[in-house]
Amino acid sequence: MKEAGVKRVEQGVTRPAPVAVELDGAPVMAHPGETVAVAVLSTAPRFRDDRSGQARGMFCNMGTCSECTVWVARGDAPWRRLRGCLVPVEPGLRIRTERPEA
Amino acid sequence: MSTYDIAIVGGGPAGLAAAERTLAAGLSICVIDEQQRPGGQILRQPPATFSVPGWLGGAPYRKGRALLDRVSGDARLQWLGGRSVLGVMPDGEGFALTLSGTAGGIEQVRARRVLVAGGCYDMPVALPGWTLPGVMSAGAVQTLIKAQQVLPGQRIVLFGTHPLMIVLAQQIVEAGGEVAAVCFAQPFAAMARTALAHLPRALRTPGPLLAAAAGIMALRRAGVPVRYGAQALRCEGTDAVERIVFSNGESIACDVAAMCYGFLPQADLIRQIGAEVRWSDPAGGWEAIHDEAMRSTVPGLYVAGETTGVAGSDAAMAEGALAGVAIAQDAGALSAEEAAAAIRKPQAERQAMQGFIDLLRGVADPRPWLPEPEPETLLCRCEDISAGTVDRAIADALEVGPSFGASAIKLRCRAGMGLCQGRTCEHALVRRIASARGCREAEVTGFRPRFPARAVSVADLLEGAA
Repeated sequence: MKEAGVKRVEQGVTRPAPVAVELDGAPVMAHPGETVAVAVLSTAPRFRDDRSGQARGMFCNMGTCSECTVWVARGDAPWRRLRGCLVPVEPGLRIRTERPEA
Repeated sequence: MSTYDIAIVGGGPAGLAAAERTLAAGLSICVIDEQQRPGGQILRQPPATFSVPGWLGGAPYRKGRALLDRVSGDARLQWLGGRSVLGVMPDGEGFALTLSGTAGGIEQVRARRVLVAGGCYDMPVALPGWTLPGVMSAGAVQTLIKAQQVLPGQRIVLFGTHPLMIVLAQQIVEAGGEVAAVCFAQPFAAMARTALAHLPRALRTPGPLLAAAAGIMALRRAGVPVRYGAQALRCEGTDAVERIVFSNGESIACDVAAMCYGFLPQADLIRQIGAEVRWSDPAGGWEAIHDEAMRSTVPGLYVAGETTGVAGSDAAMAEGALAGVAIAQDAGALSAEEAAAAIRKPQAERQAMQGFIDLLRGVADPRPWLPEPEPETLLCRCEDISAGTVDRAIADALEVGPSFGASAIKLRCRAGMGLCQGRTCEHALVRRIASARGCREAEVTGFRPRFPARAVSVADLLEGAA
């Protein structure tokens, strides 16, 4: 898998301390206010595999294309498919790029 | 359920300008937007938890930022952020809007009048390899920088036909990123010829032209290569994009390839309600038809900004102000004389900009320069339907008769049936159908727009109905 090239702009930006979220079972640090899409991008550009097994990434980052749709669960709430570019992270959020076990 | 005098869909420059005018007239309003904070894509704000003192400090953003400050500081504004509008239905004397939270949940609001100021989105252009991770829209890169303060890659190539690439390249450089190249598909001479033809009228609003010239100089100083006549052929890579190949044989290594061929109006809601639209040249998509006061063809439904044809944020602000005045007048909160006085300035501003808007549309016209997908290239990214499959469906439909539209192709091959509701592939289908039928795009009927305009879970809908 290709390494993520994402870079947070540091100069002139103050962020709250990062919190841990879970991405495909592994912990990932993200700053509150960042989107689920950025949390995913910070590890790899892949958001899902398509029907032919090809890796797919995000495309529009404005809620229009749905390419960043991933599975998200807050606390004990059930898994939902959400557009990652529109949902802010929060501590303990769980994210899956593949359909979770029920 | 709350009933507002006016529900404004879209909290960008058009929606905010309309909000300002309707609030001033004493109307009760709500503004609904998918983003958490107001501003739209052009003024996409960092999260409230971030502090970014130098955010969008440039001159082109000044007027919009002042509007944003004025309106978002108004305590009477009911801001409904983080919500998508799934549908707008006639309801008694007004409309019922069904909203879904971007993190789940359904709610409804009622409004006597509705303004759709939905903005626009980057034209998705299918070229071989465009489904590789790392190939994205220029708007994606730009909003990641503006709002999330994140660079999506270490080496970014911009390709397409739209001069917005100049602005974006500067923003990448200012954020500390590397722009490997800015690649205009059209030759410099063609751009210059078009620009010169429009220049006398465009000079009525010289601001954007000066900003563009300054941008090109800034890129030169930063050592960013700007190419002209470089048509993108395909993106290549294994698990993600690694390079992009151009018509001159050049191959440029990158981990992000961002396309910028123009913008399509967000038109789902106005089409769903049945307002009349027309094909939006040059980039395509559907724009709302409206009168001088920004009334759509559906009584009580108003439109402003890019939803009426992509013309930039200054035009959106002027149109939003015009729509706000018309709404206030139609609601009885302004007399005809007051309204006539209030529209004078935004109307004059909107007219003065038309020269620059025409120049930009001419210079950026993507039509002669669109890359060709291969038969196996996916046109419909949601349902994984290839250009070859779409073309076969079009050929089959042609055998039946010449007057079919995009929905007939959707039924034959599922293109446009996925999560994005056809926003990605519809324009490409319309272009291919027009080409096969030998007619203009404007003569091809698009997809039948349906509720919901955004993907929503069935569980949420059932809960919302209970």
